[in-house]
Amino acid sequence: MNLHYLMNELYYQRRRTLAAIIGLSIGIALLIILNALSAAYRQAAHAPLKEIGADITVQRPGNVPEKLEGSVFPCSAVTIRDDQVKKIQGLPGVRGIGKAVLLWVFDPNRAWIVLGIEQQNSVGPATLSRAVTEGRFLEEGKEEALIELSFARQFNIKVGDTISVAKRSYPVVGVVDASRAAKIAVANVYVPLAEAQKLAADSPQVQSVSPFQPADVNLLFIKADQEKITSLASALPNIVDKKATIGTPDSFLKLLGSLFALSDKFTMAASLIAIVVAILIAFKTMAGNIAERAREIGVLKAVGWTNRNVVTQLLSESVIQCFLAGILGLAIVLVASVGLSFIKVNIPIPWEMSPTPHFLPGGGDQIFKTLRLPMHVPCSLAVFAVLLSVVIGGLTGALLGRNISKIKPSEVLRHE
Amino acid sequence: MNNGTILTGINLSKQYGDLEVVKKVTLSVNAGEFVCLVGKSGCGKTTLLSLLSGLERPTSGKVMLDGLDITSATEDELALFRRNNVGFIFQSFNLIPTLSAWENVALPLFPVKMTGEERKRRATELLNKMEMGQRMDHLPAALSGGEKQRVAIARALINHPKVLFADEPTGNLDSATGDAIMEILNRLHTEEGVAILMVTHEAELAKTADRLIRMHDGEVIS
Repeated sequence: MNLHYLMNELYYQRRRTLAAIIGLSIGIALLIILNALSAAYRQAAHAPLKEIGADITVQRPGNVPEKLEGSVFPCSAVTIRDDQVKKIQGLPGVRGIGKAVLLWVFDPNRAWIVLGIEQQNSVGPATLSRAVTEGRFLEEGKEEALIELSFARQFNIKVGDTISVAKRSYPVVGVVDASRAAKIAVANVYVPLAEAQKLAADSPQVQSVSPFQPADVNLLFIKADQEKITSLASALPNIVDKKATIGTPDSFLKLLGSLFALSDKFTMAASLIAIVVAILIAFKTMAGNIAERAREIGVLKAVGWTNRNVVTQLLSESVIQCFLAGILGLAIVLVASVGLSFIKVNIPIPWEMSPTPHFLPGGGDQIFKTLRLPMHVPCSLAVFAVLLSVVIGGLTGALLGRNISKIKPSEVLRHE
Repeated sequence: MNNGTILTGINLSKQYGDLEVVKKVTLSVNAGEFVCLVGKSGCGKTTLLSLLSGLERPTSGKVMLDGLDITSATEDELALFRRNNVGFIFQSFNLIPTLSAWENVALPLFPVKMTGEERKRRATELLNKMEMGQRMDHLPAALSGGEKQRVAIARALINHPKVLFADEPTGNLDSATGDAIMEILNRLHTEEGVAILMVTHEAELAKTADRLIRMHDGEVIS
């Protein structure tokens, strides 16, 4: 292989070189972008759960209480028994569990959405501690409450005030900005889990719908091994309830409804089409290029180049072109990624996962987790794409070179 | 074959389908001899030249070049044989358009293991002989017809060939330039002792040759 001859061919025949490079680079760029988009939507779909420190949420739907007075369970989240929680803890792949109790409390003069949380658990709503804007977060063993910022403003509740919820008094020790926290299990008042369990256990409305012991809960957050999420999601209804609502990254992905979020099969099929089209473009351009050079190849053979010399030269040209196409494809991807990362993704949070009484202001409004598309091109994908380009170049060059090297110099040189 | 014979064709025939282009031709060229193959267009001169130079295989017959039967060689053996033993000059020059003059001259050496400097030195030396030293970095597109043919002659000489095959080397040139090229070929023959087998249909050009071989309808007639 003569590098100077190769570079001269690519440089002086730049129109056909560029046609081959651009054709293949677009295919390579499409391949990377489609896969990166798919990965970005997957990552986005994980965001609502990630911000609450979990991979899976579990709830059990139940009946609507007969009377909306005192403490009641939302119909989307009724009792999950303590023994069921313990069984789940023992499942393979479960790395941690967060528990919570969500209650609607209808006092004579005010309706509250109360969430009982484990203060020290990194899995579950305790991640709210990052959203405290005033005062402090709940402390272990104290009967106290946090108030959500907009609720506090609406009802003029301040840190240091005492609120009365279902006939129990709680000093307000802090204010949290829920807009900066997870969109799942949003409440107006946050109390220690034990307090919410007492409220639920003491409530005849709760007991009439779903018997509740003081150690039970109605929301579960599970941190799991990534590769076990799907198998756990299918095992959980067998423990909790066949009708249990299981929230996973995949369930959020389905809610997104984007073509890219639909399935791996779609991404794979689209990638395959992109790369096949790219290969065809590269092949056609290079085949045309080599056919145009039949006479030149005849000259090479006449002056003593062997078939192997000719194939090696053409193969090297093809590999270099395709390598450049891979690099250009990557450059296109980097530019496109910056553009695509400005896309905002609105992930709908199902009402069941953050239930609010419909008759309260904003109660029926759809809640969204909004984020910028987390575009990221993994190094492995970039390296794979460039290697794929080189392989395409190698195969194309070898195939075309082998065919063209069979020509007899006398056949192409006789027609002067 | 006597000791002075460098090239021999024995009973050479070439058939394309039903058409017999070369018919049982036997001829020989001595070392250092300048032989002209003349005849009308389509009489089979170029085909005979291709058979004798190993560019094409005969339908029947044998070609001996420097004592070696090239008709039984494989394609790659033939290529290597051409690289080391023969040089070609074509009517339409057949230079590679993307390579400079000196690179075109060095083209047969590209697959040979040697330094770039050595290739360039040998190419430059030949281009200087052809009075083309000042044009060595020009692409073929920037050269005149005569200059292109000088580059092509230099390319044919790069491997010190035993036989030079020239197919209508002046066919695409005006008469003055054609004369200059013929002068170069004559000089090569007389000063360097290179055997030349030249195909032409111009009887005038053939006058300078040591020997004339006339062809008609695929046969050698004299």
